[in-house]
Amino acid sequence: MRRISVVSAALALVLAGTAACSSSSGHSSSGGSGTAAAFDPKTCQGGTLEVLNQDSISKLDPARIYTSGGGNIPSLLFRTLTTRNREPGQDGTKPAPDLATDLGTPSDNAQTWTYHLKDGIFFEDGTPITSADIKYGIERSFAPELPGGAPYLRDWLVNAANYQGPYKDPDGIAAIETPDPKTIIFHLRKPEGDFPLLATATQFAPVPKAKDTGVDYDKHPISSGPYMVASYEKNKTLDLVRNPHWSAATDPLRYACPDKIDVTSGLDPAVINQRIATGTGQDANAVTTDTTIGPDQLAQLNSNPALAKRVAHGEFPATTYIAFDPKVKPFDDIRVREAISYAIDRTTAVNAAGGTAVAGASTTFLPPQKALGYQPYDYFPAGPTGNAAKAKELLAQAGYPNGLTVTLAHQSDDANNFGPKLATAVQDALKAAGITVNLDPIDDNSYTDVTGKPSTEPGMSLQYWGADWPSGAPFLIPIFDGREIITSGGNFNLAQLNDPSVNAEIDAINAITDPAQAQARWGALDAKLGQQALTVPLFYEKDVSLFGKNVKDAVPDGWRGQYDLARVSVK
Amino acid sequence: MTLTVEALSGPQPGPDPSSPPHARGATWRRLRQDKAAATGMVIITLMVLVAVFAPLLTALEGQDTTTQHPELVDSASGGTPLGSLGGVSAGHWLGVEPQTGRDLFARLVYGARISLGVALGATALQVLIGVSVGIAAGLGGRFLDSALSRLTDLTLAFPSVLFAIGLMAIVPGSVPRPLVLAVVIALLGWGATARLARGQTLSLRTRDYVAAAKLSGAPPLRVARREILPGLVTPVITYAALLVPANMIAEAGLSFLGVGVRPPTPSWGQMLSAGTTWFRPDVMYVLVPGGALFLTLLAFTLLADGVRRTLDPRNTEVAA
Repeated sequence: MRRISVVSAALALVLAGTAACSSSSGHSSSGGSGTAAAFDPKTCQGGTLEVLNQDSISKLDPARIYTSGGGNIPSLLFRTLTTRNREPGQDGTKPAPDLATDLGTPSDNAQTWTYHLKDGIFFEDGTPITSADIKYGIERSFAPELPGGAPYLRDWLVNAANYQGPYKDPDGIAAIETPDPKTIIFHLRKPEGDFPLLATATQFAPVPKAKDTGVDYDKHPISSGPYMVASYEKNKTLDLVRNPHWSAATDPLRYACPDKIDVTSGLDPAVINQRIATGTGQDANAVTTDTTIGPDQLAQLNSNPALAKRVAHGEFPATTYIAFDPKVKPFDDIRVREAISYAIDRTTAVNAAGGTAVAGASTTFLPPQKALGYQPYDYFPAGPTGNAAKAKELLAQAGYPNGLTVTLAHQSDDANNFGPKLATAVQDALKAAGITVNLDPIDDNSYTDVTGKPSTEPGMSLQYWGADWPSGAPFLIPIFDGREIITSGGNFNLAQLNDPSVNAEIDAINAITDPAQAQARWGALDAKLGQQALTVPLFYEKDVSLFGKNVKDAVPDGWRGQYDLARVSVK
Repeated sequence: MTLTVEALSGPQPGPDPSSPPHARGATWRRLRQDKAAATGMVIITLMVLVAVFAPLLTALEGQDTTTQHPELVDSASGGTPLGSLGGVSAGHWLGVEPQTGRDLFARLVYGARISLGVALGATALQVLIGVSVGIAAGLGGRFLDSALSRLTDLTLAFPSVLFAIGLMAIVPGSVPRPLVLAVVIALLGWGATARLARGQTLSLRTRDYVAAAKLSGAPPLRVARREILPGLVTPVITYAALLVPANMIAEAGLSFLGVGVRPPTPSWGQMLSAGTTWFRPDVMYVLVPGGALFLTLLAFTLLADGVRRTLDPRNTEVAA
């Protein structure tokens, strides 16, 4: 069950709007950093930042939102034990202390993590933040009344799998100790070297028990960050003003430049890009956290250098791929899977996603980020446009000398870039190899319900996976760990691979606390898994977004690939 | 989907519409003399020929609807076609589709099959259902009449686009999409035809020759077929000519909203929908399907107007 939420969570994180979406390790920051050199966070204060978004903010409760690295907008309101360090490029894939004084002290083979809180940290009403507030915030996220958050803690904490939240179970979680107001200790049931990365999630934000109103807390969550809610109309607008009790001295990572931040959601992507590009009136101060640049603006970039300077380039680690169910014929035959891998045309696949500006062809399951452990491999070289001859040869060997007919499941809409556009590109590419592809469009909202249940899982489907944090673990475990197969629904191990040696290697890497060492092992594991052709990686995501004329320091951070609202300035 | 037909839907005053005022040949001649109608007919004939001979035309061009040509688009700028006018060339007469590089001419002529086929099919179904229900209501007893009339009112009052979206979403993918489209559009759009047919039937049933047929013991079905139906031909044909463009818009609308035919099958509405984000970098992608749709709708409207002018008994003396 816990994986059900993992699934939806991981998707929600990238697709949905409030917090999640995009981004890690940009390859270049040249696009957006023109003004960064002269930027001084000490003198950037003032003005109103306009945020124009597609996705509606449907929830604001820190227990309920699912983010990568604490999100973009949520991170303005909620400080967490650790947070992303907000550096550009590969440096930005690391966590940094936020409310805590350091990244945590592991002991007992990384099964126990101890944190101490900084001095001088307050809620928006002036109450000091204590370790009990953080414990309470985590406990709330277990309440069935407040669903939606990342599921990892339920899995990781000792004896917490069935905890029902503080409303039903006021005794709390014994695995979280708060011996004094400045100390919090987590006891895990297995070694987790990635704990400081998970501690960036909004579930680690403090919640004052006295102000908790249960499901109504969503209307005005108590801020610990540089801004607080002035007004919030669900799914429409969110206006933030400064939190007078936040102090920059305890929070060097958030510059908090604008005096006000106004978020408008539910806009059409073409409208957002057009408004930011034109920059009339207040739109000169506009940014977006969920809209990549459209063809209209891309076509103008060469002839309009002023606009080209207002483009931020980042990369959120995410892969779009074809998943096979090897229990379904003919995909049980590795030669058929290899034939499809050879036949695929990654040029048309990238074009279906919007071209080389927003997607990059990829032959590895891990996206090309060092933090995830990326190791290049290409076992079934298809070249840029597919190798139909080699595919036909393999099909003949597999007993299909006259080609074969298969069905490809895909989302019925193109919003997430694995809809009809990509499906027809795959269909056309495989036609050259004698493979006839029938398309099976499935409604976006029920897509994971269908593909995530082994009994209804299609033999071949288009899929997307994004990282909950920049590490190989949240990228490979849900997809390839045999213990993550969930027959009741919410399954992401679509190959239903249950290989004891893979499972053992995953456990071994989880116990490693040195990121560099873990990265090498995750990369090697990915390269080993790639030989089985259980997936056909198609492309990785690039995040390219515009920002307004007056916006400064719009540099994508290396974790989420977006510019950070806590750092941009409109002065 | 529902058109303004109120002018035609009530019992009509004036001369008896059931008596053939002039021979079929004369009607045809007058229709051809009507310049607007003749223009409409020429365009429609051309479009139908294009749709029928779509495979031949694309073979002549040397293209098909699904092959992607990544070499003809600029991937770095999001997939804008290379070359002027959306990539028009000797090999691609109307250029190529952005992003995929699929041939636009091939997609346009195959799209005509969907647009015209669905519109004509839906119209035929609407007329069939509408006339049957209308005659049954007009000839039947008070109970049948009010039951069928309330049913007609219900279909007319339905938010048909919303309902069509819902219907299209639940039909399994194995059913051929154009057929589903035609049936859904017809099921939601026969109300006005039924009203028209009922009104005509009510006025015809009081005629002496109908009463005579009934008195001579003709069964109701034969009365409907032999005595009532011929009197309905004129108003129904006139109205059907107006229904075709309305149905075409309905098909394009549903395809535009993404519930029409499924990719990679081309349809004009779908092309227009995809074109909305491209109107600045590649205006051809909007103009080509938009122009085709506009031209066809205009042709049907001109023809429908001509048919009405020619067949309307009130115009007989004036025209003659």
